[in-house]
Amino acid sequence: MYFFFQKVLMKLRKPRITATIWSSGKIICTGATSEEEAKFGARRLARSLQKLGFQVIFTDFKVVNVLAVCNMPFEIRLPEFTKNNRPHASYEPELHPAVCYRIKSLRATLQIFSTGSITVTGPNVKAVATAVEQIYPFVFESRKEIL
Amino acid sequence: MTGRVCRGCGGTDIELDAARGDAVCTGCGSVLEDNIIVSEVQFVENSGGGSSAVGQFVSLDGAGKAPSLGGGFHVNLGKESRAQTLQNGRRQIHHLGSQLQLNQHCLDTAFNFFKMAVSKHLTRGRKMTHVIAACLYLVCRTEGTPHMLLDLSDLLQVNVYVLGKTFLLLARELCINAPAIDPCLYIPRFAHLLEFGEKNHEVSMTALRLLQRMKRDWMHTGRRPSGLCGAALLVAARMHDFRRTVKEVISVVKVCESTLRKRLTEFEDTPTSQLTVDEFMKIDLEEECDPPSYTAGQRKLRAKQLEQVLSRKLEEVEGEISSYQDEIETELENSRPKAKGALASLARDGAAEDSTASLFGEEDAEDEELEAAASHLNKDFYRELLGGGVAGGAEATGSPSGSGQPPALESLLGPLPTAASLGISDSIRECISSQSQEPNASGDGELDLSGIDDLEIDRYILNEAEARVKAELWMRENAEYLREQREKEARIAKEKELGIYKEQKPKKPCKRKEPIQASTAGEAIEKMLEQKRISSKINYSVLRDLDSKAGAARPDAGPEDRAAARRLPRRKKPAGRSGADSAASVGKRLRPMVSAQAAKKAAVGETPPPNAPARGCALGRPADVLVESGPVAYHPEEDAEEEDPDAEEDGEPCVSALQMMGGSDYGCDGDDDDGDGY
Repeated sequence: MYFFFQKVLMKLRKPRITATIWSSGKIICTGATSEEEAKFGARRLARSLQKLGFQVIFTDFKVVNVLAVCNMPFEIRLPEFTKNNRPHASYEPELHPAVCYRIKSLRATLQIFSTGSITVTGPNVKAVATAVEQIYPFVFESRKEIL
Repeated sequence: MTGRVCRGCGGTDIELDAARGDAVCTGCGSVLEDNIIVSEVQFVENSGGGSSAVGQFVSLDGAGKAPSLGGGFHVNLGKESRAQTLQNGRRQIHHLGSQLQLNQHCLDTAFNFFKMAVSKHLTRGRKMTHVIAACLYLVCRTEGTPHMLLDLSDLLQVNVYVLGKTFLLLARELCINAPAIDPCLYIPRFAHLLEFGEKNHEVSMTALRLLQRMKRDWMHTGRRPSGLCGAALLVAARMHDFRRTVKEVISVVKVCESTLRKRLTEFEDTPTSQLTVDEFMKIDLEEECDPPSYTAGQRKLRAKQLEQVLSRKLEEVEGEISSYQDEIETELENSRPKAKGALASLARDGAAEDSTASLFGEEDAEDEELEAAASHLNKDFYRELLGGGVAGGAEATGSPSGSGQPPALESLLGPLPTAASLGISDSIRECISSQSQEPNASGDGELDLSGIDDLEIDRYILNEAEARVKAELWMRENAEYLREQREKEARIAKEKELGIYKEQKPKKPCKRKEPIQASTAGEAIEKMLEQKRISSKINYSVLRDLDSKAGAARPDAGPEDRAAARRLPRRKKPAGRSGADSAASVGKRLRPMVSAQAAKKAAVGETPPPNAPARGCALGRPADVLVESGPVAYHPEEDAEEEDPDAEEDGEPCVSALQMMGGSDYGCDGDDDDGDGY
């Protein structure tokens, strides 16, 4: 538990989550493996706060950011991929080894590595899944054939 | 000329006088046009007697001030600012570009990018230098010059990633697709820096071939091109008998030593590395390699699979162990009644034991627990053997020891399977429990307590004594920080009392100047100077004394103050500037009046002091300016005579200087009466 900028970090073991509790009463809960789990963890937290004597109202629970990782069974040629997907993809090898692909309609960002692993961040689980589905054909185009 | 017809006489002979701007009919003499717009060069006589042409130079970019004919001053000012930005940008681009040795065409292109960026308001909220660097780098990329972002950041002393962010944004907003950087572009540049002399070209060619090989072997995706170049050049140099150490290559290529070594090892893994120098030049291997990170990933995958297989075998082994355990027990039971046969049966058991031990050795080599258990078993076995051998005839001792053995074995073998299966069952238990907790409906503002184990939560909450201990621990850990916070609060409280508490906004860049709230003019000056970030040079005690009319001479403080104050005039404040001008004029007028007094301090003393108070007052109390009028105008002259300009009150001399700024005519007229200083 630290004390910087008026917030407290609290970690639970049962659903493995880390929660940031602000002095205004807002709580940010990270590290859960599913939306349900996140909600469950948040409720447990609220319960423990209740036990400590604070007035707790559990309102406005919403999932704000989802981060997912997936693996493609093939490698990807990044320069080729960037050329084919010009406005959305940006690749700067001097700065970061992955291609950063943004889908504006879903508000999702994908980081595509040459090994075939892809990291997706989006506003909810559905968007993330849709993003992966959308990007698959593009990535498949620029894959590297294994002899 | 235009073939106009005269209104009066109908004649067509019209004379146009360009200089005067008239159109006159030569027939009847009537003036047809007056004040025609002309494009003649006009000359004006100077005060010195010479004549100069009327007009302004307008630059090619249109960045000059275009005078509108009697039109909108608002428009003029807006255009000025934009033009000024562009002019500034152009200057900076040229400055940076010349350092990078870019040709004129590139610089012009960069300036075009910059113009586009400004029109899209991308310069707002960003440092101008960053935007300019991004424009230049964009040009480098489109032209394909061997300039790295690192070079630019070196020149500007800015973090590469910050520049990169700006660059990416710029490229995206301007919809410019920068082609991907090819490491081959960098080779000639680095080769030149490494000084290969005559063989420069050959080494470059070899390095290029190496790079292409690396590309086909999938070493180059996701890697910094400079790192690859470094590795290729190093190998190429060695191939041509040049001793270039890793350190030298690093200093040229600007990557870390470990990176270079890593690239070299990766290259070593490829089959190309097995070829000799000559072979490499001639043959090109057909097969391609997988990227090194891919192989690493595969290795990890294989290791994981292996673990799974092993764990599965573990379970099988457990089953076998229990069966062996039963067998052992039965054998032991049989061994007890026969004394002689005991050894034989034990030997048989020993064989069985040995086989189990060997089984352990083979399949569960990695499982230390089982090994330890195996050694344990063996130990017991030996003990038993010895016990059995010693108490050959003593069956009574044999039997209790024998009977003691099976439970001991059991206890030994007991923990074994559970220890092995502990991880699995635990996770299974967790899965089951979490499954039962999963289906929970959402609440409506009220906390839904279903599935929450209250008892468990109660365990989390510390009781009184524990809470106290933890609080103390935490206090001790963060004592430093808490102390700082308390000091800060005390300081703020004190400042609040004094009335100069300034709101600290550490996160927001303070572009807006906060209105200075000060009770006295001295404080106002202090705060203003603090804001202008020149406070380190100013002696605050001196400034404070300005208010208190303490006319005591502060010779030490004085010159420093004035010396520093003299530096202040360079600030781009119009008030200050004209203040300086007026002060200078005042100074000139005062010099003859102030005879011997300010001998050494004259030059220093007179120009700045009216300056400093002038500037200070400009910000301080403008309200006071209006109050005091003419008669005060002569005060600075008298005060300057005293050689203690700092003894002046803030209010009055300020006013006079300001007044002089505003209406210098009055000052002039007034002084003319006294006798012109010239």
